[in-house]
Amino acid sequence: MQRLFSRPEFGPLVLLIVELVVFQSINSQFLSVLNISNTLAFSVELGLVALGMTLLMTSGEFDLSVGSVFGLSPVIMWSLFNSGALPLEAAFVAGLLIAALIGFVNGWFVIRLKIPSFLVTLGMLLIARGTALFITDGFPQRTWDASGQWLAEVLVGDFYVGPFRIYMSLFWFILAAVILGYVLTQTKFGNWVQASGGNPGAAQARGVNVGRTKIILFVLSAVLSAFAGIISSIRTSAANPNSGTGYELEVIAMVVIGGTALTGGRGTIIGTVIGIFILRIMRNGIVMVGVPGLAYNIFIGAIILGMMALHSGLERRHQSGN
Amino acid sequence: MAEELVLMDNVSKYYGRVRALDGVTFRVFKNEIVGLLGDNGAGKSTLIKVLSGAVRSTGGTISIKGKKVDMRSTADAIANGIETIYQDSALVTQLSIARNLFLGREPIKGPGFFNRMDQAKMEEVATALLKRVGISKNIPVTTPIGSLSGGERQAVAIARAMHFHSDLIILDEPTNNLGVAETQGVLRFVRNARDTGHSCIFIAHNIHHVFEVVDRIVVMRQGKVVADDIDPKKTTVRHVEEVITGMSESELRSAVAH
Repeated sequence: MQRLFSRPEFGPLVLLIVELVVFQSINSQFLSVLNISNTLAFSVELGLVALGMTLLMTSGEFDLSVGSVFGLSPVIMWSLFNSGALPLEAAFVAGLLIAALIGFVNGWFVIRLKIPSFLVTLGMLLIARGTALFITDGFPQRTWDASGQWLAEVLVGDFYVGPFRIYMSLFWFILAAVILGYVLTQTKFGNWVQASGGNPGAAQARGVNVGRTKIILFVLSAVLSAFAGIISSIRTSAANPNSGTGYELEVIAMVVIGGTALTGGRGTIIGTVIGIFILRIMRNGIVMVGVPGLAYNIFIGAIILGMMALHSGLERRHQSGN
Repeated sequence: MAEELVLMDNVSKYYGRVRALDGVTFRVFKNEIVGLLGDNGAGKSTLIKVLSGAVRSTGGTISIKGKKVDMRSTADAIANGIETIYQDSALVTQLSIARNLFLGREPIKGPGFFNRMDQAKMEEVATALLKRVGISKNIPVTTPIGSLSGGERQAVAIARAMHFHSDLIILDEPTNNLGVAETQGVLRFVRNARDTGHSCIFIAHNIHHVFEVVDRIVVMRQGKVVADDIDPKKTTVRHVEEVITGMSESELRSAVAH
């Protein structure tokens, strides 16, 4: 019992349950089939980005360019496909490859040139967003030509489980969460990720290739952002060059609310999954209970501050050995 | 004489025009604890940094078991069986004792996906190691390093060096900031390491700690080795202090008085 309380995921889990209870007691439509289906569809797209960010932040770095990559990759994919330059599958791969290249460049600047990831990925945020706007002249790319294509079905096809409308994207999110959770906690690579964030000097001395570990995570973060952006573009029938704006901060908030340390060394996928739902349900819930949507950020800010206070309290207890 | 483990021959290190090491020849034999003493700036730290691969020497050679080696990084030193334990710096505080012990050399459980670690084996070996190094308290090996005391952290670092068959364990100020009981614990860990076939270099400001544990004392002054075969059983702390400072007893007294 004591151990359960001291886990970093415990506080966020309690908050999530409180949110559900409060919103449901004010508006009984909150836990309706339609609302659950809609919330799940939105949440998992940002969630995919947050999963990649969790591993990257555990290794002591973060990525501000995820929102821009979320916008850029689908724009590239659909521009290539709509102009007839590439078939859909090849355009999809091209979108992901561009993201992988962006992640690699981020990692290379951070590791080889020793520039803080804040500055490197801020630069990349502007480059990626600027590119998306430049190649589209600022206009959304249509994606409805994809309907009926097998790839679109695999990515965002929907089906019903009982009364619930489930998108395939939920399946991709669960798969990514299970794999990354397993990698972080059970594998050698996961141990290296935590060590790279906790004490890079010590990890390097033990033969851990800290630079390569971090570059892999930068690539992973960018590719997952691209994947999420492509899914989003098909679901909304448009690849908007502005989509994903501001996502980087919301995703980082999800990750730290879940209990991953901003300074690295400690990360939790379960916590991130809880953090994703805390923020998305808050966004959805306050509208449903009649609070003006514009007040959303006040609540989010308060949650971040409250959770940080909780985590730092736990961390101090942890360090003092109690 | 016992078998020679490390020979640093005529090693120099210049920082610009500053001679941190000036033609130093330094030996460590098998199964001995060498105390390395010297005033601040005498060159102890530089010598250790060269031997542990943290800095490169400007001249001279290093041989391990009679074979010349090139120490370009700390990883090179570890591969050559030389483990350096600095206070705190060698461990990841967020990771458990077991995960720290095996960091970089995690045992793999097959056939697993993505190199699955064999955590049961890690914990079993870690528990046995803590016992061997002489930690008497019953600490679960899943405890994060961050919640251990300074002495316990030293013990974990020493246990790791013992397990991975480091021939030479370098302890840089291992008793700094430790209480009396903890210090005794660390000295015991060091003796245990020697008794199970490891050599140690022990660096400490507190000469009394050095006297308690080492077999041989080497003294450095101004980048040179000025004595390399002092037997702590046949000398006094006062005499060693004279060698360290290069002053006679009466000079020392008057230096303190002024």
